Order: sequence, then structure tokens, then C-alpha cells
Amino acid sequence: MTATLTPRRSTEELASSRPAWQKRITSDRAARFTFYVAAFALWLVLAGLFERIPGPPSVVDRLVEEFRRGEVFGNFADTFYRFGIGVALSIVVGILVGVLVGLSPMARAFLESPVMVALSIPAIMWAFLTVMWFGFGHTSPIVTTFLTAVPFMIVNVAQGVLGVSRDLRDMSSSYGVPLRRRVSDLVLPAVMGYVMAGIRFVVIMGWNGVLLAEWFGGSGGAGYRARYWYDANQFAGFAAWVVLFVGVIIILDQLIFERLSRRAFRWRDAAH
Amino acid sequence: MAVLTVNDLCKTFGAGTARANRVLDHITFDVRGQTFVSIVGPSGCGKSTLLNIISGVETHTSGEISVTSDAGKPARLGYVFQDPRLLPWRSVRRNMLYVQDADDEVTRRRVDTYLDMVGLGKHGDFFPGQLSGGMQQRVGIARAFAVEPDLLIMDEPFSHLDAITARGLRAQLQDIWAQSKKTVVFVTHDVVEAVELSDRIIVLQPGGRIFEDITIDLPRPRRQSDPAVATLQAEVLARLENMKAMTPQVAAAG
Ligand SMILES: Nc1ncnc2c1ncn2[C@@H]1O[C@H](COP(=O)(O)OP(=O)(O)O)[C@@H](O)[C@H]1O
Ligand SMILES: [Mg+2]
Repeated sequence: MTATLTPRRSTEELASSRPAWQKRITSDRAARFTFYVAAFALWLVLAGLFERIPGPPSVVDRLVEEFRRGEVFGNFADTFYRFGIGVALSIVVGILVGVLVGLSPMARAFLESPVMVALSIPAIMWAFLTVMWFGFGHTSPIVTTFLTAVPFMIVNVAQGVLGVSRDLRDMSSSYGVPLRRRVSDLVLPAVMGYVMAGIRFVVIMGWNGVLLAEWFGGSGGAGYRARYWYDANQFAGFAAWVVLFVGVIIILDQLIFERLSRRAFRWRDAAH
Repeated sequence: MAVLTVNDLCKTFGAGTARANRVLDHITFDVRGQTFVSIVGPSGCGKSTLLNIISGVETHTSGEISVTSDAGKPARLGYVFQDPRLLPWRSVRRNMLYVQDADDEVTRRRVDTYLDMVGLGKHGDFFPGQLSGGMQQRVGIARAFAVEPDLLIMDEPFSHLDAITARGLRAQLQDIWAQSKKTVVFVTHDVVEAVELSDRIIVLQPGGRIFEDITIDLPRPRRQSDPAVATLQAEVLARLENMKAMTPQVAAAG
């Protein structure tokens, strides 16, 4: 007796059996597009229902106005300066401390509690504290960005270091590979995935931190400008800046993060 | 001169606890330079533990162990493991250089020479994931030879490969060994493989004692098809059957 299998079709057959429009509406890009359309529709509905939610036309008006007055580039330049320093510090310090915590049980015991405490402190607390400590200027948003973001980097990297293959570590120690080379050729590449995840957190948490510190710090920047419109009771202006914040974070994530991880995982793509 | 000396070596896991497990029991042997010695025994008899003690990854409970190098330098050891143990994110050539003392012109040339010897001269820039299991294991072998070790230890390097690939690699290992004349300690549970490769076979029995020390005096290169090799393989197998008859644990373990 022969059993009949459901007919298996090759990928070529599958590809040619589906019309182009069907392929297009089931693509990833279509899904992403659907989300943006739905979000926009929801905004329209809410703006129609509630008077205090500004609709797209007034927000766009405001945006154009802010660009024309030259508020956008100046304020974002300040914000990016602070954000950039804070994020860079978080990444460097986070990798160093994370590797240390992952490799040394003593460092792990010592740093476990402070890192957990730091993780649980919301960005808004750091924003208040740093404004108290450092006053108005670049320092408080930079420090807030750093303190908000760095614990995420440490935790991710330490997690990755703890997961480095036992077999490869044994191989390295039986061959007597020096510590520096072990870190650069074994530990760092092995934790690359965790570093990437860490950087993503750092960017998102750091962005939160810098905007909050600017909101309370009164020293210019995108967060400060949003606060300005909020205080003036001008919700369209406020919403215009929210649109800008969201836009920037999406661009950062897509452009930088995607590109970085593709580079870092070249060996993985080459293998398959 | 002896390159490896093992004297009255004992290893007990969890010594002093209720679950103390004696794995190596007063082992004594030495390995002369430029010989190929196999350690054979059923799985679980302590072969890997012995190698780990030699390499320093594992500590021993009592006894002495020493590796002698020429010219008074610290002894250099090479390892081939059951699996290739390559860094997946480094090219084949970078993997070979990873365990080398230096990264100079001489070292690079040596690395390429050994890659050529295992037939992977054109694969230096490949990532391990782009090679088959047998090719990856050949990289592991080339890596071990390329450190020019005083002692090369191999722990069942062919047991994860299919029979045909394993046969090819055994032939290749014989060729490289004939050219380099390194001192090798080769662990396997496969008597047939041990006879084909070795000058001498040390048989471990369960409980970690040496059961027999057999000299294999056959001309090289040895090929599986040679009747003299097959005859000796059968003879050694018969002697190990004898061991099973004498040690009840083995009979029980099957
Ligand atoms: N790290 C360890 N802790 C406790 N027992 C171990 C450890 N490693 C090996 N053993 C035990 O030692 C015995 C010998 O193991 P092993 O040397 O791996 O045998 P083989 O390599 O001959 O198959 C086994 O019974 C195993 O359970
Ligand atoms: Mg073993």
C-alpha cells in the first residue's frame, strides 16, 4: 500500500503560482505600512472626538512654522550633542563593566545590587536629581542620558559574557591563549548579539533621558521646546515636537541599528 | 627520552564526599618522543579525564605528571577535541592564528603550510560555518600541529564523523604525523582505529587502571586493506574480550 503525501511544492512553483498583488499585500513592508495607516486613522478619529487632541492639519501647520522659525535644527543640535555623548559613554562604560561583571564573580557580587537599583530608577528621577546637582546646561541631560541607559548595557553584556561557550573557553585555556586575545576574539564576538540588543536599549532609554532632562532643565533642546508649547497651552505645538521625537527614534533605530547588526553578523549570513 | 611522564596518578571526583568517584587509579606510564600512543578503553573509564589533567584543565588528586620540552622552554601542547571547537566568527586562518604565540610572517607561513597539508589551502578565508564537519575537524587538526607542540593530545577526534570521512582523516593524520613526527597521545574507544594509527596502545579498564600496554610493530603507512593490519586488529580485539571476561563491571555494562 502506498501512502499519499500532500503534494509538496517547490519554492519556484509557489512563487509562480501566486499573483504579484497577493505577494505584495502579504509582504513585511505591507504590514509595516498598514500599521502607519491605522495609527494615522486612529489619530484622526481621536482628534475628531476630543477637542484637546489636535488634528493633523494644525500639527503640520505648527511643524512648518517651527521649521521656518529655525527652532528645529538649533534645538535638535543641542539635543543630539547631549544624547550623543551620553550614549557613547553608556556604550563604552557598559561594555567594560559588563565584561568585568561577566568574567569576575567578585565584580558580579559587588555590582549586582547597584546595577539592579539603577535599573529600577526611572529616567524622570535622574532628570530631577541631575538638575539639582548640575543646574541648567549640557551636564544634566548628558548625565541623565548616561545614568538611564548604562545599566541596560551592563546587564546585557554581562549576560552575554556568562553565556560564552564552555568548550571554546576550555579550548582557549588549554592552548594558553592570552587574556587580551581571549577578550577580543572570543568574548566580544560572542557577546555581539547582546551588545547590539544593549545598544538598542541605550538609544531608546537615552532618548527618554535626554528629553526629560531638557524638559526640566530649561536649557534649550528639543525637550525644552516641547515644554515651551506645553506651558503655553498650545497642544498643536507640543504634538508637533512629539511627532519629531518619534520620527527621530524610528530613523535612528532603522538606519543605524539595522546597519550595525548586519555588519556584525556577516559571519552568520556567510554560513547559510 | 620521555616527553610525557605519568607517575602513580589518581583522580577522585568529589573526594571526601559521599559521592566520591574514583576515575583514575594509580596510573603509571611514560611516552617517548616522536611516538604515537593510543589510550583505549570503554566510554566512562576516564580517558578524557586523563587528557584534561595532562592539559591542566582538570586537577589531579595525587601522583605526578610532567611534560618535558626541549631547550628548556615551557612545554607547548596541542589539542584536537571531539568537536572542532572553532570560533564561528573568525576565518579559518584567524582560527589557526588565535592559538599561536605570535602573528608574524613565519607563523603565517607555517599556518598556511599545515592548512595545505590537510587539503584546505584554499579555504583560509572561509568561515567555519561554510565548511563540512569533516573539513572543520581538519582545521582543528591543522591548528594543533601548527603550534608545533612538544605533545599533541587528541580526544576521540573522529568519533563524531561518518565512517568514510573518518577513514580519510585517519589516512591524512598518518601522513601529517609521518612528516612532522610529533609526540601524540590519542584517545579512542575504537580498537581498530588505534591499531591502524599507533606505535603503542595503552588499554584502560573501567575503574581507571591500566589493563595492558601493547606495542604495535607494523610498517607504515598502514592501510585498512592490508591483511597484516586486519590480523593484528583481530588479535588485539580478542585480547580485550579477555578483559571483559575478567572484569565483571564491563560485562555488566555490556
Ligand atoms: N567534572 C566531573 N565531575 C564529576 N564526575 C566526572 C566529571 N567528569 C567526568 N566525570 C566522571 O568520570 C568518569 C570518566 O569520565 P571520562 O573521563 O569523560 O570518560 P571517557 O572519556 O573515558 O569516556 C565518568 O564516570 C564521569 O561520570
Ligand atoms: Mg571522553
